[in-house]
Amino acid sequence: MTSGCEVTRTRFESYLGEALSREERSAVRAHLSECAACRREGSELDPSLLFATAMPERVSDADAARILEGVRAGIALKTAERRVRRVPSHRKRAGATAAAAAAVLLALTLTSPSPARLALARANRLSAAAGPGRTSLPAAAGTRAAVPAGESGSEFGAPAMTARPFSPFAEAGAPGGQKAPADATIYDWNPGGGQPRVVWIVDRSLDI
Amino acid sequence: MSREKPPTADGADPYKPPMELVYSEVRHREQSAELSDRELALAARSGDMVSFEALVVRKTPAVVSVARRIVSDPEDARDVAQMVFLRVWEQLDRYDATYSFNTWIYRITTNLSIDFLRSSRSREKAHGATLHLVRQREEATGAETSRAAEDDEMSRLFREASERLSGKQKAAFVLREMEDKDTDEIARILQCGESTVRNHLFNARRILRKEIEKICPGFVRARRRAPEKR
Repeated sequence: MTSGCEVTRTRFESYLGEALSREERSAVRAHLSECAACRREGSELDPSLLFATAMPERVSDADAARILEGVRAGIALKTAERRVRRVPSHRKRAGATAAAAAAVLLALTLTSPSPARLALARANRLSAAAGPGRTSLPAAAGTRAAVPAGESGSEFGAPAMTARPFSPFAEAGAPGGQKAPADATIYDWNPGGGQPRVVWIVDRSLDI
Repeated sequence: MSREKPPTADGADPYKPPMELVYSEVRHREQSAELSDRELALAARSGDMVSFEALVVRKTPAVVSVARRIVSDPEDARDVAQMVFLRVWEQLDRYDATYSFNTWIYRITTNLSIDFLRSSRSREKAHGATLHLVRQREEATGAETSRAAEDDEMSRLFREASERLSGKQKAAFVLREMEDKDTDEIARILQCGESTVRNHLFNARRILRKEIEKICPGFVRARRRAPEKR
């Protein structure tokens, strides 16, 4: 028994109790891998010490090549899966984008009066300049103003709203006396400008 | 445009087409072999498959070694290794290059090995493998063994004795005792505290001691029976 054996054997307990420094631990492991007598002594104290000298598992070249081939095949498969998955996701994204754009437009139209009012004021100015005689679209009975009472375009430096409610049903003389939906109001902001431009449709049934 | 022709002994025209090497995969592989793990991982993240494959080749022995000790079956260990590298490829963009690549890949390896171990298929296979190994060992009893054979015997004994360990205990013991990792690194790999790692190691040793006594009484026949520590 060498001095190395003595030192190692005195360190077994500390080794098992995780109380050795990195260097001391390495020294114990190195000695155990060389000394069969100390391995036997250690295993008698605690059989789990047997595994301190276990060699790394060997991987043959053939095994390594098989793993690499498997990984390549797996990547090819996953790439193909991703490509397949992309198609519906694109469609979904396109649909979602269109829906979002529509929602934003609607929200802007319904909840943000400023741009609409500015447009309305401009339409009013144009309408006033054109004169009442040029209005070719009569107001439909039962239609209501979209701007709440008390609000007007004057605050934007334009005359009060005079845009005429327009009902395509009344104008076209729809067969069977067809009327506009009860809760919908359609405004033409360019009366007399030829083809009516419908710029604001309010559906009161939304209760916004 | 005139080209100067250097004189040659036999007077032959040494003309060569004015080609320039733009890319050589062989050279790229050679260069990749000289890069660190972290550099390879970053190159692979940007889509360089040569670097990724260099990483796979470099890390295969370590990954298979850990996986094999945890799942106990060489075929299963190869499957786990493939899953590990696929997971690495999928999650390379999540790799934080400020940390060691080794820690990251060991974490993936231990997690997937533990998951595999928990699956019923793995349990069944491990049970079958244990019976097979017991038979093998009985046949080989009394034979004089070399160091390599002793290693094989130790590996087999570990596979049998470690059946009772939990996934975390087994992973902690394999990383500490067989891969010689420090407890702080094991804590990072297993994503737990160092005291938890020490606890796993203590319990793993206690269970292994009991199991080895049961499986292989000859091993501890001459053992000085110290009182059980708790």
